[in-house]
Amino acid sequence: MKISSNVAIALIDANNFYASCEQNINPNLRNKPVVILSNNDGCIIARSPEARALKIKMGTPYFKIKEQLNKLDVAVLSSNYSLYGDMSRRLMNLLKNYCEEIEIYSIDEAFVSISRPNDKNLYPWARNIRSLIYQNLGITITVGIGENKVRAKIANKLAKNIDYSAGIFDLARTRNENNYLKRISVDKIWGVGKQTSNWLQSKGIKNAKELRDMEENEIIKKLGIVGKRLQLELKGYKCLPIEKNKKSKKEIQVSRSFGTPVTKLEDLTQALAAHAIKASEKMRSQNLQSSNIRVFARTSKYSSQNYQRSAHRKLTNATDDTNSILKIVVELSKEIYNPEHKFSKAGVLMQDLTNSEYLQQSVINYKSQKDLKKSAILMRTIDLLNKRFNNNAITWAITKTPKSWTMNKNFLSRSSTTDIERIPTIVK
Amino acid sequence: MDSFGSATRKFRIPLLNDSVSAGFPSPADDYTEENIDLNEHLISNPFSTFFLRVKGDSMINAGIKDKDLIIVDKSLIAKPGDIVIAMIDGEFTIKRLSIKNDELYLKAENHNYPDFSFKNHIDVQIWGVVIYSIHSYL
Repeated sequence: MKISSNVAIALIDANNFYASCEQNINPNLRNKPVVILSNNDGCIIARSPEARALKIKMGTPYFKIKEQLNKLDVAVLSSNYSLYGDMSRRLMNLLKNYCEEIEIYSIDEAFVSISRPNDKNLYPWARNIRSLIYQNLGITITVGIGENKVRAKIANKLAKNIDYSAGIFDLARTRNENNYLKRISVDKIWGVGKQTSNWLQSKGIKNAKELRDMEENEIIKKLGIVGKRLQLELKGYKCLPIEKNKKSKKEIQVSRSFGTPVTKLEDLTQALAAHAIKASEKMRSQNLQSSNIRVFARTSKYSSQNYQRSAHRKLTNATDDTNSILKIVVELSKEIYNPEHKFSKAGVLMQDLTNSEYLQQSVINYKSQKDLKKSAILMRTIDLLNKRFNNNAITWAITKTPKSWTMNKNFLSRSSTTDIERIPTIVK
Repeated sequence: MDSFGSATRKFRIPLLNDSVSAGFPSPADDYTEENIDLNEHLISNPFSTFFLRVKGDSMINAGIKDKDLIIVDKSLIAKPGDIVIAMIDGEFTIKRLSIKNDELYLKAENHNYPDFSFKNHIDVQIWGVVIYSIHSYL
């Protein structure tokens, strides 16, 4: 199904998103090298263009280049997800006004569909949306346009790598497509994993052009329908639709790395309880209930003893009630605990999620209707209070003792856009 | 509190909807739907609106006082006469965008503070336009 050329797909993403968010809300950081550290201040996960220019590498463990960053006067920040999440929400909502359909692909990336105008030229549209986002949010975006998702992704890469593109590239409008496709190595193509890329390279296929022109049967034999679809998209056919309303989540996970490794059962249980409270809150805000509760814990990936355990409990009746969930999580934490190991990360997963509205009828003798109603009202009240006052204004006693396991977030910027107590101050 | 989230979310508390009417219907029934939502009235572009806090008295003649809460809309293009947030030398500053002899400058609304000309600075940027200031009398 060759698509009619009047609907284009664009992949829009924000440049250096985390660093841009920080620089936008804090004038002090503008034009300065900025790096953002991963959860728990482990390693570098984002850099401002100024930090890139200093050749600071992604993924470098912070402790290794602490001194160097200091000498170079690089601003170091912990990741501030309330800020990035809020800016992402703004970005996606603004984008909605400028396209027909949008699929939010990640915190700073979205596929959008847009009709091609009569003159086929989408550059004015892209320039417009770029300057609008910059004006509204102080964030620069890159727009890659193509006939389908795979080619939009490629166009986006080209827009980033070609100096004269000014952040916009339309792969459907170029005359020397072959030359551009040659610049994209196979391992950089969306949907090509490590193994596939190795196989392709062993076959002498090095770039997107060669993959596009490869013998079709050979691809199907090795990669099946997925490979065929990929090749068809490279050729300009549309196989992957924009997923406007992604299906509701299959599970909700809350997990964190520990600031210092956890060895005591008490600490592990406390951490899991805190995550479970958060997870049940999340479920309620999305009208979901879980009938399969899982907890897990693992040692550091880098430690010699690579130990991980998980345990789960299936429930006859799905629930979103924190009290019931906590009881289960406390029991499960005993099952996965092992005194011989230092845990570096733990989490809870709420699985087999169902929409609470479907559930109302199926409630049988698990708890009386009256009790269920009572617990629902209690939970709703707690959620409202926590929303109204600070998070955790009301919580469970199990999380209230001093915590030794919380994350390191030593360089956290303020929640400048989401907390009235922490908004930026204008001095004079 | 998620101050912007609440710009699109409305907390409505219908007071009388559950009441069983046994007799004369309450004349208030038709009026219980809406609450006044300040977000709705003060903020027309929620996705580009940010809050800031003022410190100091440089805008006192414009009625903006120390500790006031400022609502800034970044989507608006600043024009002369607007009160703006500018970024100068790594700081936010609040001034009135003004024009004199065909040249733009930033004017403090307090005689004790000097005007600020764009000419002598390389990195000045208008960050957003102030649409409201909120002053507490408590």
